[in-house]
Amino acid sequence: MFALIKLIQSLFDALHSEGTPGQLAAGIVLGSFLGLTPLVNLHNALIFAALVLLNVSFAGGMLGWAVFVPIGFLLDPLFDWIGHSLLLAPSLRGLWTSLYNTPIVPLSNFNNTVVLGSLVFALLVSLPLFVATRWAVARYRVTVGERVRQSKFYRAVTASKVYNVYKMFRP
Amino acid sequence: MKIKIFRWRAVGPLLVLFVIGCLLWWLFADTIARRESQKVGTQLLGAKVDIQDLHLDLRRGAVTIRGLTIASPHEAFQNLLEADELVADIDMIPLTEKKLVVDRIVAKGLRFGTPRTTDGRVAAKSGDGIAGRVLAETREWASQFQIPVLQLATGKISIDSLDPRRLSTIPAAAALSARADSSRRAWQAAYDSLRLGPTLDSASAALERLRHARAADLAALNDGRQAIDRLKRARDRVTALDRSVKSGITQLQTGLAGLDSARGRDYAFARSLLKLPSLDAPEIGAALFAPGAIKPFERALYYAQLARRYMPPGLLPRATTGPSRVRRAGEDVRFPKERALPAFLLRSAELSFLLHPTSDQPQQYAGRLTGLTSEPALYGRPTTFRASGPQLAAGALLDHVRDIPVDTGGATVGGITLPAFQVPGVPLRLDPGAATTQLGLTLNGDTIHARFAIRSTHARWMRDSGFANSTIGDLMWRAVSGISNLDVEARLSGPLHHPDLAVRSNLDQAVASRLRAVLGDRVAAAEKQMHDRVDALINDKVGPVRARVNEVQTQAQAQIAQQRARLDDLQKQLEQRLRDLTRIRLP
Repeated sequence: MFALIKLIQSLFDALHSEGTPGQLAAGIVLGSFLGLTPLVNLHNALIFAALVLLNVSFAGGMLGWAVFVPIGFLLDPLFDWIGHSLLLAPSLRGLWTSLYNTPIVPLSNFNNTVVLGSLVFALLVSLPLFVATRWAVARYRVTVGERVRQSKFYRAVTASKVYNVYKMFRP
Repeated sequence: MKIKIFRWRAVGPLLVLFVIGCLLWWLFADTIARRESQKVGTQLLGAKVDIQDLHLDLRRGAVTIRGLTIASPHEAFQNLLEADELVADIDMIPLTEKKLVVDRIVAKGLRFGTPRTTDGRVAAKSGDGIAGRVLAETREWASQFQIPVLQLATGKISIDSLDPRRLSTIPAAAALSARADSSRRAWQAAYDSLRLGPTLDSASAALERLRHARAADLAALNDGRQAIDRLKRARDRVTALDRSVKSGITQLQTGLAGLDSARGRDYAFARSLLKLPSLDAPEIGAALFAPGAIKPFERALYYAQLARRYMPPGLLPRATTGPSRVRRAGEDVRFPKERALPAFLLRSAELSFLLHPTSDQPQQYAGRLTGLTSEPALYGRPTTFRASGPQLAAGALLDHVRDIPVDTGGATVGGITLPAFQVPGVPLRLDPGAATTQLGLTLNGDTIHARFAIRSTHARWMRDSGFANSTIGDLMWRAVSGISNLDVEARLSGPLHHPDLAVRSNLDQAVASRLRAVLGDRVAAAEKQMHDRVDALINDKVGPVRARVNEVQTQAQAQIAQQRARLDDLQKQLEQRLRDLTRIRLP
């Protein structure tokens, strides 16, 4: 329940922030990397640094992360298969061998089937996700955005008191 | 409006986060490294690895481990080894490539086989991972050595029920019968396809014409010569069929001989159901000591196979199970590269250890291990180990540099007080006392040669209470109780999947002669009884098959002989008539 409220809050924060649709979409894309790939990896430190340092929506990043974590879990078998196919492809053996024996690169765990598979998947999905999210945010803001902002539900969710009360009574 | 790309004001918080991360690492690095080492060690060996304290000194590239305990993968409440302290010098540069290169380890206070309070086996219980699979494989391997048990407590020879489905002669006989039938059909079809009837008829007709022909009747003479050619061709076809039939008959005869071999195997199988070994001296040794002798082989093989899995030859990419985490572990693929460092390399380890740690004067020994690596082909030299001391000589060489790995190891340990053990199948306990134990193993590709020997001059025998009213028990006791020298040797050789085990001991002859005196007649009667049971089950099946094979063989040979005789006879007559007609008669 707490996670759900936080997710809805993140969603509204992101959608009604002052950032442009592009910034929000870029944040969600970076967040999707955190969610889709196994978290404790070197590339995610870079993604997190980029999320902090680049002028993209941080709330969007958190939203993307939250949304894509369960998707990542669900798609793990697919990532494993992708990674396995890529790592054991004879034509790519030279590339992997050279990367594996290059300083720092092996610390990224690219030689793990799930890490590589999920990273490649996230990279492939990033551009369509960026375009689709930017369009969707823009459409939302010009169509129903203002009405939602005025709605009681929006006020209830975003009101910090509600959240505080919830925190008081949660088990 | 121009949008800024960077959020410079976030640099400060990010740096703070980085500093906090470094601080946490500084605080918890030792704990994390200790837990990871325990986890990886446990996974690798299939037995619990505990470390009391681990200190990382990255500045000097040193790791100090104190209170290392590695449980035995085989024994529930025993440690494989304990170490007071291990100090490792680590090469820091390869760590950037996620490679662990240890230049030198100094291990102090190693102790082997110490007791523990909790069950430290992991692979044996879970069966997971490489260690679990290797353990299961070696257990299965060890279980192939079925040793008949000598039941001497009551002197009773018991016979298990004989299941006809487990006899190999019956299916072999059915298969041979089917083969005989199919051969008969094939030969009949081949015989029919010769179409000898028209050839014989036309030859007979030509002979008849020649009988009434004159020397100048060239057409008849030509007909006769053509008939002879046809007969010769038909004869060639018959000869070819004859060759084929002879070859088939040879196979059927081999099948019959195979039935005899199968019967021999069935006799041996039936004999194994008798809970009594042969009274030949070598088998007495196997019955008494083989169950105990297989254990050291099984354990040595476990470690050798584990080394082969973790140190495979060649440079092909290798996939191993990835790290355990909430997400799917996946597989880690290693990509060894020529002239690069291996993922793990221990250049040298100096070991000092204690034997007889619990005695008043524990003896100190020293050993050295070199070239332990995950990619032997990259290191280019075999892993070697040697240890020596007053009553110890041990050495091992794991050569996985070439395509076919060769593992050799051996140890001789003197003055070890072996625990007393129950001699299998006999209510008799043997306390070998202080003994010299030898174990040697060579695993060349898939061929194994191994030897295990125990020698003691202070062996003591103890009777169990169940022995009291047994005549044969008394005999056994009289045979062995005066023998204080114990000399047992077990040898294993042959292909790894099915090697031959031979066990002999100095007790064999003594026990065998005593047993033969008492049990010889009863064993012979029991063996005859088992032979008769096997024969009763087999003869009903084998007799008709043998008759069928002989019938098929006789029939095929008779058909061919008959036709060949007709062809030969006609050809002879035609040739004779042609000679008569073409002979020049002088006036």
